[in-house]
Amino acid sequence: MRTFRRRKIEERIFKVLMLASTVVVTASLLVIVGTIVVKSLPALRLSMLVQTPKGGYYLGKEGGILNAIAGSLYLASGATLLAVLLSLPVVLYLNLYTRKSSVLAMFTRFSLDVLWGIPSIVYGAFGFIVMMTLGLRASLLAGIITVGLLEIPIMARAMDEVIRLVPPALKDASDSLGATKLETALKVVVKQALPGILTAVLIAFGRGIGDAASVLFTAGFTDSLPGSLLQPAATLPLAIFFQLGTPFPEVQQRAYASAAVLTLIILVISLVSRVLIKRFTRHTIK
Amino acid sequence: MEPQPHLRIRNLSVSYGAQEVLKNVSLDVPDRKITVIIGPSGCGKTTLLKSLNRLLDSVDGVRIEGHIFIDDEDIYDPRVEATHIRKKMGLLSQKPQVLPMSVFDNIAYGPKIHGLRDRKRLRVLVERELKAAGLWDEVKDRLHEPASRLSVGQQQRLCLARGLAVEPEIILGDEPTSALDPQSSRIVEQRLIALKSEYTVIVVTHILRQARRIADHLAFLYLGELVEHGPAAEFFANPRDPRTRAYLTGEIS
Repeated sequence: MRTFRRRKIEERIFKVLMLASTVVVTASLLVIVGTIVVKSLPALRLSMLVQTPKGGYYLGKEGGILNAIAGSLYLASGATLLAVLLSLPVVLYLNLYTRKSSVLAMFTRFSLDVLWGIPSIVYGAFGFIVMMTLGLRASLLAGIITVGLLEIPIMARAMDEVIRLVPPALKDASDSLGATKLETALKVVVKQALPGILTAVLIAFGRGIGDAASVLFTAGFTDSLPGSLLQPAATLPLAIFFQLGTPFPEVQQRAYASAAVLTLIILVISLVSRVLIKRFTRHTIK
Repeated sequence: MEPQPHLRIRNLSVSYGAQEVLKNVSLDVPDRKITVIIGPSGCGKTTLLKSLNRLLDSVDGVRIEGHIFIDDEDIYDPRVEATHIRKKMGLLSQKPQVLPMSVFDNIAYGPKIHGLRDRKRLRVLVERELKAAGLWDEVKDRLHEPASRLSVGQQQRLCLARGLAVEPEIILGDEPTSALDPQSSRIVEQRLIALKSEYTVIVVTHILRQARRIADHLAFLYLGELVEHGPAAEFFANPRDPRTRAYLTGEIS
């Protein structure tokens, strides 16, 4: 009898603890978003979204952050595209072309895990050294490559996990119809794992568009719209950083407005892609 | 003397690491008959079946010795392409495994990768194979729905139709009714019997009653060894090996 009561109390305590943790996590999200919104309200107006910074913008004068919005979208899209082009082949190779015991596969997964853990400032510094060596200056292209490198381990590992879940019998089914490995990979495995693959792409995009340290030296910053791949490009995280760093409260408010824009971009992209995932994956076998 | 059958297995041994799963198996599989491979779980039945279309190739640590001849071509000859061998065989797995696409595309998938592009001919072919698998009437209005929405029994017949669509010579069934309800199992069994006029059928099962219902020829595997094989009537009436007798009476299972 006594042990039963003890177990029941134990069950209750742990249930409350789990609930409390869940509340803390959810509440932090609400607090973060709430703070950004409240702080940004005074500064948030349409001109911020459709204008580039005019002279004296960082002193509180006219203008907007269109340069950073456009720059971030270009940069993150380019980097994500680059990361997909490199991650998908890696992941398909690991899962369909190597054996489970393959040393190369093990080493690759280990490398991806290590790369995932490297702080983004290190990617930035690395990108900077490469640029210096090649005699390039800070540019959209350098930013795309650096952020692409940052995204690859995140994307590849997330894709790896979902492609590993594709049932071997499904590969056998395709193979036994006389398909080559490539046909099985692209027409069956990718199709089956598509929801997870798209999620992986999204996670990586989110990391890419939000990262400040990797673009600090590589993409540079400019008040004008990105004109070409070889010119510097502004980015939202740096725009936030610079505005927050000024001593003027009205400019600091604009930093929060920029943060709200960044958050909104990520939110819109997740929502749109969720709808797309639903549309594209009606054939996926549950 | 009878002509040589299409499919001949000679001295086939398969091991995974140190574990020997098939020991020196030799078997002639009669053309256009149903050959049923029976035996208790873990005796190597599925391995034998998978070795026939080289699905073991990608298994870790597998070692395959011996020969399997299809039309006098040794399928384990390094010069032979696995895709070419697999096209000659349709596989039904234990659990029906439809591809993540529509009913129509499941069947068109094989012919398409082998080069058939013409929409009209694909439509004709899909209809023909669905009829051969006894599924046409049930799905003719649902061809563009996801295949995963069909019932499990329908999915297994879809897999059969999909296998037939690449014009194989041989149909392999790996306990093809084990995931199905009795009604669907009957339908699949009937289809297999109907198909043996055109195809060589090999079915693995551990259900003796199923073997009695469909087999023309039987092979009994026990602990990786081919203990006995022969025509069904003789096999059931007069088993020669004491182990076969023990299995048939349920003493070993």
